[in-house]
Amino acid sequence: MTTLVVKDEDPYGHGIGGWLSHVGAVLFGIPDTYRRELRLHRPRTIALTIMTVILVTYPILNSMFLASFSRTVFPLPLPDDTTVTFMMIFGIMAIGLNIVAGFAGLLDLGYVAFYAIGAYTAAFLASPHWGSISIVFLANVPQGFPGIHLPFWIIVPIAILIAGTFGALLGAPTLRLRGDYLAIVTLGFGEIVPVVFRNLADVTFNFSLGPLTLAVEHVNLTGGPLGINPIDAPYLPFANVIFNASAGYAPVYLGMFLLVFAILFARNLERSRIGRAWMAIREDELAAEMMGVNTLRTKLLAFALGASFAGIAGSLQASYLGATTSDFFQFSTSILVLIMVILGGIGNIWGVLLGAVALTYVDKTFLPYVGQQLQQIAPSFPNPAQFNFLFFGLILVAMMRFRPEGFLPNRQRAAELAAHTQADVEAKVDQIVAVDSQAETEAAIDADPSIVLDNTGPPPGQDETGPDARSPETTDEEREL
Amino acid sequence: MDQVIQTFIIGLSNGLIFALVALGYTLVYGIIELINFAHGDLFMLGSMIALFLIASVFGLSASTPALQLVGVILLVIAITMIATAAINVTIERIAYRPLRHAPKLAPLISAIGMSFVLQNIANLIAGPANKSIDNLFPTTNLLSVFGIETIAVTFQQAFVAVVTIPLLIALTWFVDKTRQGRAMRATAQDPDTAGLMGVDVNRTIALTFLIGGALAGAAGVVQILYNNVTVWNLGFRFGLNAFTSAVLGGIGNLSGAVVGALVLGQINAFSDRYLSANWTNAIVFAVLIAVLVFKPTGLLGQQLADRA
Repeated sequence: MTTLVVKDEDPYGHGIGGWLSHVGAVLFGIPDTYRRELRLHRPRTIALTIMTVILVTYPILNSMFLASFSRTVFPLPLPDDTTVTFMMIFGIMAIGLNIVAGFAGLLDLGYVAFYAIGAYTAAFLASPHWGSISIVFLANVPQGFPGIHLPFWIIVPIAILIAGTFGALLGAPTLRLRGDYLAIVTLGFGEIVPVVFRNLADVTFNFSLGPLTLAVEHVNLTGGPLGINPIDAPYLPFANVIFNASAGYAPVYLGMFLLVFAILFARNLERSRIGRAWMAIREDELAAEMMGVNTLRTKLLAFALGASFAGIAGSLQASYLGATTSDFFQFSTSILVLIMVILGGIGNIWGVLLGAVALTYVDKTFLPYVGQQLQQIAPSFPNPAQFNFLFFGLILVAMMRFRPEGFLPNRQRAAELAAHTQADVEAKVDQIVAVDSQAETEAAIDADPSIVLDNTGPPPGQDETGPDARSPETTDEEREL
Repeated sequence: MDQVIQTFIIGLSNGLIFALVALGYTLVYGIIELINFAHGDLFMLGSMIALFLIASVFGLSASTPALQLVGVILLVIAITMIATAAINVTIERIAYRPLRHAPKLAPLISAIGMSFVLQNIANLIAGPANKSIDNLFPTTNLLSVFGIETIAVTFQQAFVAVVTIPLLIALTWFVDKTRQGRAMRATAQDPDTAGLMGVDVNRTIALTFLIGGALAGAAGVVQILYNNVTVWNLGFRFGLNAFTSAVLGGIGNLSGAVVGALVLGQINAFSDRYLSANWTNAIVFAVLIAVLVFKPTGLLGQQLADRA
């Protein structure tokens, strides 16, 4: 019999030191992981490597000569720097929402709230908004300049903390609710947050409790409908690079840098004890609880961590654009990110990234281009760029009906969905169990260094799937591990 | 005091319109546990259809003779109800029925997609600007008959009550007393068992969408004749108000939806009047969140669907 021994203790220890060594282990483990991935999944890894190389070199090549190929050599317009930067921003958001919706199975329809919180965090901490005070610290503005000016590199962790805190605050009372009620509550939160930012432009209140008196008169807290601008652009002090919208491809690499961190972090979360707990909850909350998972705490963690990704994306977006208003943060943005997650493949990081890249391209480059072309042929024809959500809505309906697991599905998730959509659930479950236990064991072994395989017998599922299901080479590879 | 009463009257007319839409949410939730996200947008389509009929097809105006006005309005209500009912049944067929056995969140996501589709179709056809018609009713104060001048009840407000209250009564009668109503209640309790007892479950669900759609259409007509304005994204705000009403009253509970709608109408009116219209939406959402967190069964509890 094969026995899976799952090491329970965190190999890196607890607390901040544990986290730091975790991050270190991730960074130094990359070459090792890469070599192993290449050995085990050669085609996939090569494809991924090629994609990465294209992505990394694209902005530079684009600025050199590729842009002139747009619509000449290539039939379609190539995405410009702004679009690619937004691909990164939405990529971070999609990965964050994937933690909530994909890993833990909680539908969050108000994800945009945390995006807004991240953006306003950047706006509050790096703009002349608080004109009566002057705090300038390592920023690209002269000393004594009015307002608070902190560097982007400090704002991002603050935005992570604040967005995560709000995620936890929203989650704490609501996560006991059933799935659809939770969706509506989060939607409500997503609507309230921008309203608050829009309406707190002129705050007057008088509060006194005994000796304590707090009185403000006509204080502009949030900039109202106009929002806050200008916001300092991210700035790299010694290299003297400014990452704003007119800086060409520089912000693309800033976004890519943050995105890579988001990917690594999410990948490790997925394979951690917490990640397994999320998936257990997603599949069967009651069963997970019976197995000793603290469901409320685990779901809260998903909410807070997912929210913190949106915090990163929001602070990047606001700093990059140099302005923020509550109009940026509408329900439709929450849904756009949700479509990215669903389209790409809910639960699969590479899938949701693909969704983010594809949909951002469609939204920001493809539809405006089609609109422009149509304008020349038929000026009275409605511009498809203004009706982008007609297409996105249709995508949602069609995906739910024909391919709910997305285009790059998470194997486990696809199996769950298939089990639900087939009429003969019973038969299907047997089949999935057979395929799954084999496939998942393999995947888990590839993925998780904390699983030690004590290979003294045939793996589970062998009897059902036949002797040819597992090739001898793979078994050898696993023994090496 | 007069001002409070006046606000109350406005709240009452708001609430009655909410009730018609809220019933659509509660009926559908009661029977298939789906938050029909597109329902608010169906209501918006209803108001658009009514606007088109009134302004372009029949060319009604304030100078139209009273008898003709009443006749045509009844006709407009009938046509709009049929149209929205047909649209709702079609949507159910396309977007929800294939997902009957999918995980519960799949139809919700499909409904959200449908909501955007309906909004953008309206935007595509009617354009992004507000669409308005002239007030068709006399502007006299009905209460001046009784010698009251400080509080006003307009013809429009009376019209809201005259249309909605009979519809609410008719619906209650239908669900409580008819054979089809019994089939609906049975399906809500347990679709599988209802099927075994000879209820055509698919047909009953389609019927529920038909009724909900018809009510949303009626609400659309009332809305356009009461507020005289509609816009492509009206359904989102309105739908969430109506959904909050349904939750407040206890989703799945028909009389609860009406009670919830009346309460929410007042919350809207008083918030608009005494706080600021800017905050009304936030307050409605806060009410929604508070009800869901602290009393998810609502004020009157869940009657139709007690499967939570």
